[in-house]
Amino acid sequence: MTINGVSVVDFAAVLLATGLLRAVPLVVAGIGEAVAERAGLLNLGIEGMMLSGCFFGFWAAYETDSLLIGMLAAVGAGLVLALLFGWLAITLKIDQILIGLAITIAGSGLTGYLFRDQFGGRNVAVDVNTSKIHVPWLKEIPVIGPALFEQQPLFYVSWALVPIVAWVLFRTRFGLQVRGAGEAPVAVDAAGVSVERVRYAAIAIGGALAGFAGGFLCVADVGIFTTNMTVGQGFIALALAMVGNWSPWRIAVGAIVFGLLRSMGDGLQILGVNVRPEFLAMLPYLGVILAMVLLAGRTRLPAALATPYRRGAR
Amino acid sequence: MISRITLQTQRSTATSSVLAVIGACLAGAILLLLTGHNPWTAYRLIVERGLLDWDGLSESLKKMAPLLIITAGLLTCLRAGIWNIGIDGQVVIGAIACGVVAGELVGDLPRALLLITGAVVGGLAGSLWALGPAVLTARFGLNEIITTIMMNYLAFNLVSWLVKGPVKAPDIVTAQTKQIPVQDRLPDLPYTDIHIGLIVGVIAIIVVWLLFRETVPGTMLDVLGRNRRAAKHAGLPVTRLIIGAFLVSGGAAGLAGAIDVLGVFGLFKASYQPGYGFVAFALAYLARLRSIAVIPFAAFLSVLVIGGDAMSRRADVPSDFVPVLEGLMLLFFALAVWFEGRRSAA
Repeated sequence: MTINGVSVVDFAAVLLATGLLRAVPLVVAGIGEAVAERAGLLNLGIEGMMLSGCFFGFWAAYETDSLLIGMLAAVGAGLVLALLFGWLAITLKIDQILIGLAITIAGSGLTGYLFRDQFGGRNVAVDVNTSKIHVPWLKEIPVIGPALFEQQPLFYVSWALVPIVAWVLFRTRFGLQVRGAGEAPVAVDAAGVSVERVRYAAIAIGGALAGFAGGFLCVADVGIFTTNMTVGQGFIALALAMVGNWSPWRIAVGAIVFGLLRSMGDGLQILGVNVRPEFLAMLPYLGVILAMVLLAGRTRLPAALATPYRRGAR
Repeated sequence: MISRITLQTQRSTATSSVLAVIGACLAGAILLLLTGHNPWTAYRLIVERGLLDWDGLSESLKKMAPLLIITAGLLTCLRAGIWNIGIDGQVVIGAIACGVVAGELVGDLPRALLLITGAVVGGLAGSLWALGPAVLTARFGLNEIITTIMMNYLAFNLVSWLVKGPVKAPDIVTAQTKQIPVQDRLPDLPYTDIHIGLIVGVIAIIVVWLLFRETVPGTMLDVLGRNRRAAKHAGLPVTRLIIGAFLVSGGAAGLAGAIDVLGVFGLFKASYQPGYGFVAFALAYLARLRSIAVIPFAAFLSVLVIGGDAMSRRADVPSDFVPVLEGLMLLFFALAVWFEGRRSAA
């Protein structure tokens, strides 16, 4: 069966493969944010951390032609900003919303500044190895074959983070401490565990994963950097963490939905359907609001979210 | 933690804000040095071009108008503990609505009526754009930070489509609305070329000052900001207060966009994305959510924006330098207030 000369099976395959690729930054940043929020930290700096991951990952990959070094730089950039957030929010106990926004503003400005300064606004692309793995036999499965068994290695690493983070959160002592730091920090403290240290670890994970998400988007997927290229994807990931009830599995489902929403735009153009690109660009943002309306009543915020811990204070 | 209470009750308002500005400028200087620019030249150019030069000064004073109006509106939200991050969207929606309606009515209405209509339409459009997140926050308890950010991206895409298609001036290549002739735009203050938007801005600040100082709704908003649960228990009309604060804030942002159209550009064009939202945030916090204190800081930031723009062209420094400073100011402000709190506790 064909539409406008394009086979439906091929079309669905491309749609799914691109959708899963577009979902990667959202799922990685989203589960990172879930860890931070589970520990009681509302990280609105996520957009700035992701954007920094984009730029510093791009810069390092451009200079070295290495995907690995690019991704390490991206994770490092997210980590540095996360530690800044941690110092201000955990140690100094300053309002998390204010510093989160400040980090996003500064991150957006700084990456734009450095990009124009270093590259003079030229559209340069990174040249890294993102060749795909071809799994024999399995990639021949119609529709899901190419989407699941013909992607670049980093794609699989990214999706593997979902079960890993879920396992850490729900099956390890550290995960219990993280959840405790967000729900009942007094109990964590009484058990002799430093709430501050747990929260630092949680924001470090959140920032590193936000940087990873940015690095994936810019270095492994798009290949070029443009100012403010994340266009709110960090905030969408933050929303996914909330509507996904801070569960990595549900966030993954949400990210796939949003990834497919974005690949639909590309898909419609392949089909020759004439839709204004602005409308397609609007879909994810509308989707976030809709998802929040539908799921708002079912989620419960961690009790100590955005509240600094003071021993002895009530 | 900086709460709204500590922000408003500590007495030495100016000190930590000034320290924050100095800290941000020093950090900015380090960034300039690291990237091979001369900080002294850069800052000297900002002051020369934004303040000491007649044209620059009048540009700075024109820039103050939207900043004052937006921040006045934003204060009603921030003091009530509502995070309206949707300023940028509300501004462009107000601007395009005003550009379309005023552009169509040119020639049909006398100048005064045309300007008032344009301003009212811009304000209403901004309010309307804020109504969605307002209702979602007040009625459904959704997180307004996320909804307002999403509304920004929706607004950018919506106006981009509108100005390229349905409302584009037919006989011009560039994506813009119909031009309002110079003689129909906002009048200038006597002996200057600064349009009267500046007066509107000062009035907006005074209105908000009176709102919080003299009126019952203002006091209720302050109570809401200090303790939302207590406000509910005390039987305050929380839903109506939240929606009201959003409408005022969105209306102010829309009006500011309209003033830019009526006073500066004479039309709405696709490239209009002034990014006032983050400036207004920095402004509101530097003024510690007090209304009158916004005026001097608005003057300072206007000089920074206008001078920074000229400086970046002259000294070949990327134009994103000013946004970097805005983010740094917020960070250093948070640090300075923390430091102040520690000293007063000791």
